[in-house]
Amino acid sequence: MSLQFILDGLINGSMIGLGAIGVTLTYAILRFSNFAHGDLMAWGAYATLALVSGIAALAGAAAPIGALSFGWPMIVAALGGMALTGLLALALDWLLFARLRDRGQAIIIVMASFGASMALRSLLEFLFTSSPVYYSRAIQMAMPVGLGIRVTPDQIALLVVTLALVLGMHLFMTRSQTGREMRAYSQNPALARVVGIDVARIVRATWLIGAALACAAGIMVGILVQIRPLMGLDMLLPMFAAAILGGIGSIPGAVLAGLIIGLSEAATVQLIGAEWRAAVAFAILMAVLFIRPMGLFGVAER
Amino acid sequence: MTRILDVQELVAGYEPGLSIVKGASIHADEGEIVVILGPNGAGKSSLIKAIAGLVPVTGGQVLLDGVPITATPAHLMVRRGLAFVPQTENIFPLLTVQENLAVAGGILPRATVPARIDEMFGMFPDLARQRRLLAGSLSGGQRQMLAVARALIVHPRVLMLDEPSAGLSPKFVEMVFARLGEIRRAGLTIVLVEQNARAALAIGDRAYVLAEGREAHEGPAATLWNDPVIAELYLGHRKAS
Ligand SMILES: Nc1ncnc2c1ncn2[C@@H]1O[C@H](COP(=O)(O)OP(=O)(O)OP(=O)(O)O)[C@@H](O)[C@H]1O
Ligand SMILES: [Mg+2]
Repeated sequence: MSLQFILDGLINGSMIGLGAIGVTLTYAILRFSNFAHGDLMAWGAYATLALVSGIAALAGAAAPIGALSFGWPMIVAALGGMALTGLLALALDWLLFARLRDRGQAIIIVMASFGASMALRSLLEFLFTSSPVYYSRAIQMAMPVGLGIRVTPDQIALLVVTLALVLGMHLFMTRSQTGREMRAYSQNPALARVVGIDVARIVRATWLIGAALACAAGIMVGILVQIRPLMGLDMLLPMFAAAILGGIGSIPGAVLAGLIIGLSEAATVQLIGAEWRAAVAFAILMAVLFIRPMGLFGVAER
Repeated sequence: MTRILDVQELVAGYEPGLSIVKGASIHADEGEIVVILGPNGAGKSSLIKAIAGLVPVTGGQVLLDGVPITATPAHLMVRRGLAFVPQTENIFPLLTVQENLAVAGGILPRATVPARIDEMFGMFPDLARQRRLLAGSLSGGQRQMLAVARALIVHPRVLMLDEPSAGLSPKFVEMVFARLGEIRRAGLTIVLVEQNARAALAIGDRAYVLAEGREAHEGPAATLWNDPVIAELYLGHRKAS
């Protein structure tokens, strides 16, 4: 039996985990399930693609970095894409969610996110068609790393980037004043206002961070697999499963759960068959809801 | 004597057209402890929440040091010098004791926060010992101390507390009130909502009795305790005559 599925699972799990951070933050702080989160991922991937093409048109083709499939324009475009995706999320909030939030009724906001998701997806199909595109057509050589596992330079680089992003996020939430305020607000919004926390600022930070990480996950999918308007929708169920398995509001939980789901999916493909892959996230989600509804790192509702 | 807090004919409620606070007028002078008493459901919590900007105000006004603060968003109140300790859920249970103080210190200049947290720990040594514990794991009395420390960390001019002694053992009630006495001697003005009338009137200077959303009686704390009509009506004890 090949152990390759472990690496595939870790890679897939990192992308799920990065996306799940945004899902869990939105749920804990804005208090709704944002079904448009996957589409932020897709939009981020396309925005980055547009920026990469733009840079290539202006500056000419750049040499790849080392053995990677991309060069410096990809890094610049990724940062720009994350910023643009953050702005898109802020615009969505201003246009839609903020207005509904003022009226209460969480279910209406969830439904609105469904609508936003469909609109965002259709718009992508309209702008870019539904056929897949790639950041680079270069073929990467996979290197054997023992135990029959092979890994490409891109995969290694993106695992390192994920690790850095997750560590950075953890430090941000535990060490920075804004991170502490976000946690405080998620625990008790009224008390947060009493102690002087500006809710509007917390809401903005939540959207910016969630969207930027969604974009990062989208770029990873784009580099390792392909870019399609439906790429975000496909990730939606695993991301929600990870957010719930990890415990709503827990960032380490979301990431760990993302890895667990990624690994389970890969193991299922290996051991049972590819057609069962999509069922795994669903089965895990159901099992968590029955056995430990607060998730791995969650706290039971008071 | 300077009038620090002046609440004039305040009308406030949670839903449109349904006032809970119905034209209440109270005030507090510099360095005073003002006690607000009243039966359950009289609107005591609603009144101080309205002053703190947490309940929509539809009439009247609130002046802090002569400046109107009536329509100020709740999160700016503490910047104006008005600190509030709510009746329940007044700490962040999943932040550590230290983080609770740090998050409240967010409106202070960044560089001064660590020293200010240490000052709070000096004032509440019990908390200092538990600084790395989650606030949710503290005992009821320690939580109340943390809530008070959290409110004091920003150097407020007025401190409003909603039933700080609720659910505490007599030993802790005594401790909380002793602390409030010390805080007042440092120059703070305190507005204290209490069910525990005896303990509150013992440290209070002046008291109001609230009934049905407005003040029904006002007087020096000492005489209020001895007023038989008030005692029987609102304070739940009959004066032995
Ligand atoms: N969040 C709320 N939404 C709607 N109505 C409320 C809310 N909080 C309190 N009320 C109503 O306002 C009225 C006054 O309640 P309030 O809590 O201000 O009284 P209180 O004097 O503080 O009572 P207690 O001594 O029990 O704390 C009550 O009729 C209560 O039902
Ligand atoms: Mg009350």
